Amino acid sequence: MSLPRAAAAALLCAAAAAPTSVRAACPNRGSWPTDGWPSIAGQVATQRQAEIAALESYAFTLSGKDEERLGLRTDGLVIIKNGQIVYERYARGWDAAKPHIAWSVTKSVTNALVGVAKVRGALSEDDKISKYVTITNPDSRAADITIRNLMEFSSGFDWREAYEHESYQVSSVLAMLYGVGHKDAVKFVTSHPLRDAPGTSWDYSTGDSTLLSSVVTAAMVPSFGEDFAFDLLFSPIGMKTAVLERDPRGGSFGGSYLYATPQDLARFGYLYLSDGCWAGARVLPDGWVAASTATVAPPFRLKVIHPDNEPTGWQWWLNQAVPEQSIATRPWPDVPGDAYAAEGHWGQRIIVVPSQDVVIVRTGDDRNATMSVNDLASKALAVAR
Amino acid sequence: MTRRTKRSLGAALAVGAVLACAASGTREYTNNDLELAAGHAAHDICSCLFVMNMPEDYCRAWVKASPDVARYSVDQANKTVEASALVLWGARATYQGPHFGCVLE
Repeated sequence: MSLPRAAAAALLCAAAAAPTSVRAACPNRGSWPTDGWPSIAGQVATQRQAEIAALESYAFTLSGKDEERLGLRTDGLVIIKNGQIVYERYARGWDAAKPHIAWSVTKSVTNALVGVAKVRGALSEDDKISKYVTITNPDSRAADITIRNLMEFSSGFDWREAYEHESYQVSSVLAMLYGVGHKDAVKFVTSHPLRDAPGTSWDYSTGDSTLLSSVVTAAMVPSFGEDFAFDLLFSPIGMKTAVLERDPRGGSFGGSYLYATPQDLARFGYLYLSDGCWAGARVLPDGWVAASTATVAPPFRLKVIHPDNEPTGWQWWLNQAVPEQSIATRPWPDVPGDAYAAEGHWGQRIIVVPSQDVVIVRTGDDRNATMSVNDLASKALAVAR
Repeated sequence: MTRRTKRSLGAALAVGAVLACAASGTREYTNNDLELAAGHAAHDICSCLFVMNMPEDYCRAWVKASPDVARYSVDQANKTVEASALVLWGARATYQGPHFGCVLE
């Protein structure tokens, strides 16, 4: 990006920000990849041959016939170090121009949209969601659910986060996306009985994230229009390929349906790596990244469905030991403890490692295998060292 | 195995799954496997073709579910996908544009 364009982008972002935000210093980077990532991948390829071979052996070795859907099936892998691409590869028919479904990586983007709304004074994390959306639930406790509860997966709704390996009909997610709930996600999610009082239990729920995105949409559309996510988040950071799918009523499926190219997903990771700033201007509130990537406070943790037993922040997964939540050790022991990740079904990942100034993006289609963040990130960091 | 035999087996599996869930008392939502299969095929084929820009043979394999009972047709001109499961259930998804992708109607 040329200096005048960088300055223009900074002014644009600064002008869009509300006066309620507290301005902290943004990272001083030499350039920003709004219009394209600089790449030194060719140079790194000659310098890190053994490390790249180990990474590719792990990530790109296919098993069996394609129709058997075995093992890890990586579609794209991009590694950013110090603002430059140091590694990039695509497979199985994918390329740099094709937006890939991000599945639950979308939840972390929804976290960003909450921040975008907060920086403009459109909402606060302790607001009750009933201020923004209609709650259709006979249990009066549902009216007490806050935005913070949704970000912390603690709405209390009796939600069943099941996918294709369980009976389809008991899955709340499948019912919301393809069945009885798909026409009105807010109504569907909020009609579930409350298993617990809001804020007293933790349960991973795409319903909570979807409801969260609908709350943000309700708060933002009247003032900023239905394209607010594009105007205020995706466009300023150059995510030109981002797509956010909705239900027929316009409610965003903020837990599942983001699509973007790996390079654009890397821009999203780079926004968090840069403390929510872009081109010198604040896109997310001061302190938002830190708050979003801190462990959700106990006392609640009823169950964990994630196989790697990773703690969560606000719609992000963390590499932290949380003994009081029965997570005795860091889930990714070979990766720095400050790392955090956006994670999606079938192996979608955005891994941010602040202490090494690294973002790792992996897209894939793993149907019967679980990609290890520890293995992938540690091998990627060896390439990026 | 012939295509007809495969189709019969798929139908039997789908009906069996519905009956098994009903009999076990675990059924929580009123949608059945066929409705989900049709909705899944319509939406995900639409997104695969018009959002992810992947070829149709890739998309067909990508959405294949078990039991494989959904059939679909693509209207390229209107960027619409219609799907059905055992004739009884149908669904349609339409591409809404570069920001909001496909919507299951």
